[in-house]
Amino acid sequence: MAESVSRRKFLSRATLAIGGAIVAGWAVPAAAYIFGPARKSDRQREWRPLGSPDKVEVGKPTLFKTRIERTTGWVTQEEEVSVYVFTEDGRNFTGLSNICTHLGCRVRFVDDQDVFFCPCHNASFGKDGRVASGPPPRPLDTFDIMVEGGQLLVNLEI
Amino acid sequence: MTAGMFEPVDQETEAPSSWLDERTGSRGIFEAIFLRKIPKVNWAFTLGSATLFVVVNQFVTGILLTVYYVPSVQDAYETVRYIDNTLPMGWLIRGLHHWGATAMVALAVLHMLRVIFHGAYKYPREITWLTGVVLLLLTFAFGFTGYLLPWDQKAYWATTVGTRILEVVPFAGDWLLRIARGGDDLSAVTLSRFFGIHVWILPAILLLVLAVHLFLVIRIGISAPPKKED
Repeated sequence: MAESVSRRKFLSRATLAIGGAIVAGWAVPAAAYIFGPARKSDRQREWRPLGSPDKVEVGKPTLFKTRIERTTGWVTQEEEVSVYVFTEDGRNFTGLSNICTHLGCRVRFVDDQDVFFCPCHNASFGKDGRVASGPPPRPLDTFDIMVEGGQLLVNLEI
Repeated sequence: MTAGMFEPVDQETEAPSSWLDERTGSRGIFEAIFLRKIPKVNWAFTLGSATLFVVVNQFVTGILLTVYYVPSVQDAYETVRYIDNTLPMGWLIRGLHHWGATAMVALAVLHMLRVIFHGAYKYPREITWLTGVVLLLLTFAFGFTGYLLPWDQKAYWATTVGTRILEVVPFAGDWLLRIARGGDDLSAVTLSRFFGIHVWILPAILLLVLAVHLFLVIRIGISAPPKKED
């Protein structure tokens, strides 16, 4: 293929190629820079103390709160994490999140009705976290709980 | 179909560029900007275009920096560190803006020197020259206001010293210093004002003056290097 390329054509193509490379030189880092924070964060899991297991009434979810330090962007803040701890036998504990699986409102355990109630869309979850009524797509999220040295420990994503 | 009723489709006029040209006059604009006649010149004549390129770079990278930068005394330094150390390519974008600023001053000054040495500011290009002077002053103002924004020790003390220079102006010195700082001392107010001036006021003025400058360059054309007899 001995196609002859004129000087004018060569120069205009070279200009386009160099120009395209420069634009890509801005656009590619710009995309990485803007979409960077959208990547899944590599958070660590850690066991955190909640309190004494004696505080948990058998058959009734009991609310515990713990504070963790979280860094988002350039801000490091203390955040409160709420965990409902539930046991049927006083030996095996499960931790339930108080965040509604529908749209993220906070649920609250209502003693006399024996359910977790979400005020946003009147959803309710049973004591074990299963959906009892309303729009939530899945049961309440759970945390692993263990007892060590007379302390309830919860496994949290820090 | 009757012959001659429809003109055969001309490949030339079917090109997308022709479609656009028919509706916008894009070809004429393209030719006026890129295919205009120029005298025999040398590489020194590219300094204006080089400055323009850096201006584009400053706009692109500057806009990107404002995505994360927060001009408050609590956040300014932290957000700059976040851009530099945590965000992917943040160091590159900030680096391009930082070094671009220096390059912009250097190239604009060299461009000005070329115009002076060639006497290119003379009739009929006086307005081009005057707008160029304004653009150079704007460049200095960009540099001065941008230098404070990282809010580190260097930025703080450079601006302390820089604004103090205004104080030596006879009679109005105190007043000018207070205007520059937005109060007695360098403070959150100074940072916020410098940010607003750097990203809104100066770019708006720059775009207007730059438009006039470039329009005149294209309309009048550039001058040839002077000859022995000139």
